[in-house]
Amino acid sequence: MATENALTGLAKAQQIYNYRSKRARALKEEGKKILGYFCCYPPLEIMTALDFLPIRILGDMDEPITVADGYLPTVMCIFYRSCFDCGMKGQYDFLDGFVGSHACDGAERTSHIWQNYIKTPCNFFLDIPHTSRSEAVDYFKRQLVYFKETLEEFTGKKMDPEGLKETISLHNKQRYLVRELYNLRKSEPPLVTGSEVLMVIISIMMIPIEEGNTLLQEVIEEVKARADVPEKKTGRLLIWGSLIDNTAFTDLIESSGFNIVVEDTAIGVRPFWHDIEITEDPLEGLAKHYLEEVKCPRTFSQTGASYQEDLDNRFGYLKEFAEHWNVNGVFGNIIRNCDIHGYEVPAVRDYLEGLGLPVLIIEQDYSTAALEPLRTRFQAFSEVIG
Amino acid sequence: MEKKQKTKKSGKTLETAREAGKFGKKMLLNALKAREEERPTGWSMVTWWQGELIAKALGVELVFPENYGAFCAAVRQAEPHLEIADSEGFPNTLCGYARNCIGYTKKLADNDFVPPEDAPGGGLAKPVFLLSSGCACDARYKWFQALGRYLDKTPVWTLDIPQTGTNEYFLPGHKEASIKFMVDHLKGYVSFLENLLKKKLDEDRLSEMVDQTFKTLRLAYEVDLLRRAVPSPMVGTDFWSVMIPHLYMPDDPEAYEFYQRVYDEVKTKVDNKIGAIPNEKYRMMFSELPPWHSLGFFDELAEQFGIAIVMESWNYHAITPIPEEEIEGVNDPIELIARLSYQKWTEYNNVARKYEVDPGFFMAAYLQYAEDYKADGLLAHPLMSCRPATYTLLHTRNMLQDKLHVPGVVIDGDIIDLRVFNEEEAFSKMEAFVETMDYNRELRKEAGLAW
Repeated sequence: MATENALTGLAKAQQIYNYRSKRARALKEEGKKILGYFCCYPPLEIMTALDFLPIRILGDMDEPITVADGYLPTVMCIFYRSCFDCGMKGQYDFLDGFVGSHACDGAERTSHIWQNYIKTPCNFFLDIPHTSRSEAVDYFKRQLVYFKETLEEFTGKKMDPEGLKETISLHNKQRYLVRELYNLRKSEPPLVTGSEVLMVIISIMMIPIEEGNTLLQEVIEEVKARADVPEKKTGRLLIWGSLIDNTAFTDLIESSGFNIVVEDTAIGVRPFWHDIEITEDPLEGLAKHYLEEVKCPRTFSQTGASYQEDLDNRFGYLKEFAEHWNVNGVFGNIIRNCDIHGYEVPAVRDYLEGLGLPVLIIEQDYSTAALEPLRTRFQAFSEVIG
Repeated sequence: MEKKQKTKKSGKTLETAREAGKFGKKMLLNALKAREEERPTGWSMVTWWQGELIAKALGVELVFPENYGAFCAAVRQAEPHLEIADSEGFPNTLCGYARNCIGYTKKLADNDFVPPEDAPGGGLAKPVFLLSSGCACDARYKWFQALGRYLDKTPVWTLDIPQTGTNEYFLPGHKEASIKFMVDHLKGYVSFLENLLKKKLDEDRLSEMVDQTFKTLRLAYEVDLLRRAVPSPMVGTDFWSVMIPHLYMPDDPEAYEFYQRVYDEVKTKVDNKIGAIPNEKYRMMFSELPPWHSLGFFDELAEQFGIAIVMESWNYHAITPIPEEEIEGVNDPIELIARLSYQKWTEYNNVARKYEVDPGFFMAAYLQYAEDYKADGLLAHPLMSCRPATYTLLHTRNMLQDKLHVPGVVIDGDIIDLRVFNEEEAFSKMEAFVETMDYNRELRKEAGLAW
């Protein structure tokens, strides 16, 4: 049996996925400062450039929400309630800092509330406009300056622009590698399963960028050479909507007649689809990238001359995805009480069905205990496609 | 069998509050009239005066679908709209106001954009544009964006207001950077409207409206100051009526004149120590929107327990006036608007810093209110279909208890959905809660707090 250190590729990803904070805790022992952050909007590049290890704060679909009940009402986004619950139960007790963000209402309010109860020495709340016109980009860039300065003050280090540019390149390399991994899902059947990809993406959000890039390279090589390719299923599924962060869910979908081939979610292609342009002032490129190129419906896209034009502006990239990955069905995943995606449901359905793609929308409760009843819906959807 | 009709009183104790309903109707009728006369009408979110004044200065009659949702709920005619929204595929967990509006808009579109005859209050006239807001709640721009399905070719313009954390607000230069953003943001909005309406903004006209707005808001704020008196001269059910003019139409001279009379009436009661309710025993703050369909609940709280609602949700109140020195010499109406809206969202950051809490908006105000209004408790009303307004309620309750020994009680309900609010259960909770308030009075006394 391979020892832990000898693990590579998918086996290593599985190990990191199963013990998500293990590497961060080990690095903390060695003196590394660890920052936890919400959603895919706080620029990791700034954190990496100042020698922090950024890790993504996630919830836990296996853990019943209990402690959070005294702080966050049940009507709010269940994912962020779960994140907070995990925080209150000590799952993130190794953090040196917390980076909250105004990504959506759930992230924003939980960020503020988090700081009242879960204390860390270095904190920043990143305000992110919902619009992306030029003045909003300028404002957001100013917020990034404050973010950088806050981290600098904590570490006592100064970030030089050239160092930031190098770090952006390092993160762009990760974006490229993730896209390479996604390319391996274009074949029929895809060479890698949705659950495997999910484990890899979560893993690289929990370890240093260099280690993440090495892991991705190992996974890509392993998958390219693998003999045990996933079984071909009826459906080639695009997942759109709220994030999925537990393989119990992707396993259920993939065992109900689907190959998951691409995920347009915050733990899917959204953080990786575009490289960051390295501009003379690197904060300029960062601001533009995060506000304009991360395709989440939390950022308002200016309405077009007609409804159809509006749909094309908002969802045109999904047509690209559907073509590139030869998609024949779409699952719209809505974590219950996620307004950002909830309001999009009829429009995204209009758009995708207009392309001839069948759509299954499910509002779910972000709990592995509540997953099994969904199986029959996926099976029925698979039959519709087949 | 004859159905038993449950009747409830309006709960308003001020004469002026009883006449305030005319302002809501005036907005609806003005928009319908404008449509008939082929003048532009717009649908707007509350943007804390950021976008409304400019649109009005350009001759647009605005109506507020959020307010229309409350209106439909109050006359118990929201349900058919909710059912339409559900059948259109919108999740039924979305905002009740939004679902009411979506259902109404579908009906409007199906009726060739003539407001249906059975529409409550005459309905909302078809807009030439929609003004949405990225501030406070995601629904307030996602909802209007979603209406594109029915209002084809009707543009949506979204305005942001910075929403920073308390520490970030106090970073050097942060405030001025935020104001600059808002000014640039508003200039873009002006260009958009000028292109849409083929008309130039009359800055003098806008300046007059801004000036009027500042005056009306100042007066509304002074009414709030009067409410610190014991016994409380007006209560929550009065406020929910009188808020319409200052929140939606502070630029209207009629709103100002109305507030002068509100002020006079409240002042008279304060001077003569006349309480809004007889035998005021407990002074409570109320947080979030009330159950519009069941406002009589508050009468019963007064009658049975002597509870007066002495202050309500921060977000609907007039702002603390901007310090004179900050706006001295500022003549650009756009900048004045930016500073006004920004002030609303940052006015309690000092309180948040004092108590080392976050956020400054939605939460910190209650810590100040508790002290200023000598509050015995908080009645928190989490709304099933207005989540963002609800997110900080438990946290507010916790902070009030921890910092000031002011306890809170949580009573679930909704702004639209009648079924969520269980009056009997609410009463049982309140019965137990008065003892908690008594107990905490003792704790405050021991802690040396002033009330």
